[in-house]
Amino acid sequence: MDNNAQQKPSPQLKKPILEMRRISKRFDMTQALDDVSLELNPGEIHALVGENGAGKSTLIKVVTGVHRPDQGEILLEGKPVHIHNSQEAQAYGIAAIYQEPMVYPDLSVAENIFISHRDRGPVMRWRKMYDDAEAILAKLDVKLDVRQPARGLTLAAQQAVEIAKAISLQVRILIMDEPTASLSAHEVTQLFRLVRSLRSQGVAILFIGHRLEEVLEISDRVTVLRDGKLISSRPRGEVTSEQVIRDMVGRQIDDFFAKGEAERGEMLMSVRGLNKEFAFSDINFDVNRGEVLGFAGLIGSRRTDVGLALFGVEPPDSGEIIFEGKEQDIRSAEQALQLGIAYVTEDRRLLGLAMPMSIISNISLPTLRKYLTRLGLLKQGDEFDTAEEYRHRLSIRTPSVRVEVDKLSGGNQQKVMLSKWLNAQPKLLILDEPTRGIDVGAKAEVHHMINDLAAQGLGIILISSDLPEVLAMSDRILVMREGKQMGVFEREEATQENIMTAAMGQNQAALEIQP
Amino acid sequence: MSRSRRSLLENLERLKSWEGFLLVLLLVIIIGNSLNSPAYLSVNNWMNLFQLSIEKVIVALVMAFIIINAEIDLSVASMMGLSACTLGWFHEQGVPIGLAFLIGLMVGVLGGAFNGFWIAVVGLPSLVVTLAMLIGYRGLARVLLEDRSIGNFPNWFDALGQKSLIGPFPLALILFFAFVVIAIIILHYSGFGRYVYVIGNNREVARYSGVKVRRVKMSLFIASGTIAALAGLLFAARLGAVRGDVGLGFELDIITIVLLGGVSIFGGSGSLYGVLLSILIVLNLRNGMSLANITGHVQTGVIGVLLILSVLVPNMVSRAQDILNRHRLSRLQTASE
Repeated sequence: MDNNAQQKPSPQLKKPILEMRRISKRFDMTQALDDVSLELNPGEIHALVGENGAGKSTLIKVVTGVHRPDQGEILLEGKPVHIHNSQEAQAYGIAAIYQEPMVYPDLSVAENIFISHRDRGPVMRWRKMYDDAEAILAKLDVKLDVRQPARGLTLAAQQAVEIAKAISLQVRILIMDEPTASLSAHEVTQLFRLVRSLRSQGVAILFIGHRLEEVLEISDRVTVLRDGKLISSRPRGEVTSEQVIRDMVGRQIDDFFAKGEAERGEMLMSVRGLNKEFAFSDINFDVNRGEVLGFAGLIGSRRTDVGLALFGVEPPDSGEIIFEGKEQDIRSAEQALQLGIAYVTEDRRLLGLAMPMSIISNISLPTLRKYLTRLGLLKQGDEFDTAEEYRHRLSIRTPSVRVEVDKLSGGNQQKVMLSKWLNAQPKLLILDEPTRGIDVGAKAEVHHMINDLAAQGLGIILISSDLPEVLAMSDRILVMREGKQMGVFEREEATQENIMTAAMGQNQAALEIQP
Repeated sequence: MSRSRRSLLENLERLKSWEGFLLVLLLVIIIGNSLNSPAYLSVNNWMNLFQLSIEKVIVALVMAFIIINAEIDLSVASMMGLSACTLGWFHEQGVPIGLAFLIGLMVGVLGGAFNGFWIAVVGLPSLVVTLAMLIGYRGLARVLLEDRSIGNFPNWFDALGQKSLIGPFPLALILFFAFVVIAIIILHYSGFGRYVYVIGNNREVARYSGVKVRRVKMSLFIASGTIAALAGLLFAARLGAVRGDVGLGFELDIITIVLLGGVSIFGGSGSLYGVLLSILIVLNLRNGMSLANITGHVQTGVIGVLLILSVLVPNMVSRAQDILNRHRLSRLQTASE
C-alpha cells in the first residue's frame, strides 16, 4: 500500500541492522505471517501495531528464534542468519522484554541483571558483579540498590532491571512487547526516558504497543500488520492516528454469518455501576431477550473479568445486577445457574472441560442433578441420550459420546462446551471468545447457533477479540479499554474504525453516543 | 475420525491392562502360594489373611476416594490410635463400652471435620494439614493413655473382634464387604462419585460448572475420619487392648495399597476395582511369604518394590505411547504436505 516509504531511509541513518525479507509462517489453519518484510535501523524506535492476532507475536517469535519461518530470510548487518533458539538470538545481540517482567523475585537486582551470563567462572565475584550492575544502571540513569532483592520492586523498576539485563548482554536489537500495558502514566514516562536513552546509544528498538497515543509519542516509524500481512510502514512524521486505525481494521467481513434482524425483547439483565478492584470499574449496560450484546476491546481490556463477575465465580465488589426484574447478588456459579445464567469460558482446557473425562460426563456436569435418582444414583441412560441429542444438534464429530474430550479437535471440544451450557437451558448466555482457535467451518456453525439462540429469545453476551465477528453478530457493542467502559454502540453506528478508536483509547467519539 | 476411534481403543486397553495386570499378578500369587503351602487354601487361613490387615484395607477404601479427589489424608492411622485410646480412656473411667465406642466414633467425625475445615473451607493443602494432624491426633492419643495399656474389655466386645459372627466371617470382614459394595456404588454409580472424579481432574472446571467443591471435599474428610475411627475401634476389639501406638505407621501401607491399585497420586483417575485387586494382592503376598517363613522386613521390602513398579510401569507405558503417537503424527503431517 505505502511501501515506497520503506525504501527511503532517513539520511542520517546507516544501513539496517536487522532485515526480515518476505517472511511467511503458517500454523495449521492460519497464515500467521504472509510475506512480511521489515527493517530495523540502529538508533531507531520502530513501532509495530495491529489487532489481536495480526501476527505481531509470531513476528517477535521468529526474530527471537522461538519459531522458524516457513519462507523468507533474516539478515543481520547484511548477512543471512538462522536463529534456532533464544540463546542464539542472545548471541546475536537480540533481546526481548515482555509485558510482565520476568525477574526472579528472590535474587538481588544485580543477580537478575547478570542472570543469563554464561562466562562466569566457578567462583562468584560478588564485588565485581555489584560494581558492573551499578555501572549499567548509572548509564541508564536509574537509581536502584543493586543488592536489594527484586521482590517488592515496582513493575517499572522491574522493567528497568530487564532493560539493564539486555544492556549487560550488549544488546543491539531490543524487542519490547507491550511493555506499558501494566504501567501507570508516570511509570510510562520513566520507561520512555529509558527507551530514548537506549536509542541514543544506537540500539534498534522494536516496540509493540496497544495504546496508540504512546506509540505515536515514542516511535520513529510505524508499521501496521493485519491478518499476517504488512499493510503499511511509514515514518512517524507522515502518519496520523486515523490512518493507523484505518490500516489496522480493514478486515473483510463477507465470509461471516451476519446476525438477522431480531426484534429486541423485554429487559433480561441490567447492570449498573459494576466495580471490581484491579479489574474493572463503573460498567453499565442492559441486555434484552433475543439480543446479542457484543463486548469488544483489546487484550487487557478486562472483558472476561466482567463475564466472570456476572457468572458469580469472581463476584464484583460493588454495583447492581438486576436479572428478570429482581436485584441479585450472585456469588457462585451454582447460584448463577439457578437464575439461568451460563458462562462459556475462553479457556477450554483449564476452566471449561474435564479433558480426560467423556463427552457424556462433561455435558451433564452442570445439571447433574437432573440425571440422578432419588437415591443419588446416576441415570446413565438419560445422560447418554442427552449427549447423543447434542451430538446431532451441534454435529459434534466423534465416533462415540463415550470418547474423552481431549481426543477431540478444538472445534468439537468447543461444541461439547456449548452443549454443556445449552443443556442447562440458560436465559442469558455469556460466550467468551467462542470461536477462538477453531476452524472456519466450526466457526460458521457457532455463528449460526448464536443466531438461532437469540431468535429463541436468549440474551447473549458475546465477548470476542475478533472485531469483524463482533460487528457481524451483535445488536449492540460495548467497548472496553483497561477495565473502563468506553461506550456502547448501536449496530448502525458501529464501524470497525470507531470501535477500534474507542478500544485504543481515542474515546471522544464513543462517549458522545453512549445511551 | 478413525484416529480418535483408535485412540479410544488404546485408552480402554490401557485402563484394562492395568487392572488386567493386577488380576494376573493376583492369580500368579494365589497359584504360587497354594503350590508352596497346603495350608494356604484353607478357610481358616483365608479368614486369618483378611483379619490381620482388615483395619487397613477398610481405610484404604476411603483413601481411594480422597486420592482420586486429588487430596491426601495422612492422619488416618493417628485417628485410628486416637479413637482406640478414647475408647480405652472412657472404659477406664467406667463408662459403658457401647457408649465409649460411640464417643470414639464421634471423635472420628469431629477430627475429619476439623481436617476438612482447613482443607475445604480455608483452602490449605491437605498434605500439610493432615501431616500436622498425623502428629496432633497421635499426640492426643498418647496424652490420654500416656504409656498405659488398657484392656479388660467386656467379653462380648472382644468376641466381636475375634470370633466369627456369621458363618466363618467376623464382624470386621462383614463390614469390609459391605463397605466395598457401598463404595463401588457411590464412586462408580452415583452423582457424588462423578463429582469426586471431576474435582480430582480439575477443581476449577468443577467450580465453573456449579459443583459444590467444598461440600464434596468436606464430606470426604469427615468420611475418612469416621471410617478411620471405626477401624481403630475394630482394631481395639481384635487385640483386646489399646495403647498410644495403635496403628502407628499404618497410613503408609494404606496409601501404598491405593496407589498400587492404579489410582493416580495426581487425582482424577483410578477405580475401586483396581484398589480391591491391590488389597487382595498385598494380603495374599504377605500371607504367602509368612507361610514360606519370610520375615516381615523382607515382606515390607517386596511390597515397596511393587509400589515403585506400580508408579513406573504406567508412566513408561504412557511415555512410550506418546512417542509412538508423535511419530505417527509427524508421519501424517509429512504425508499431507
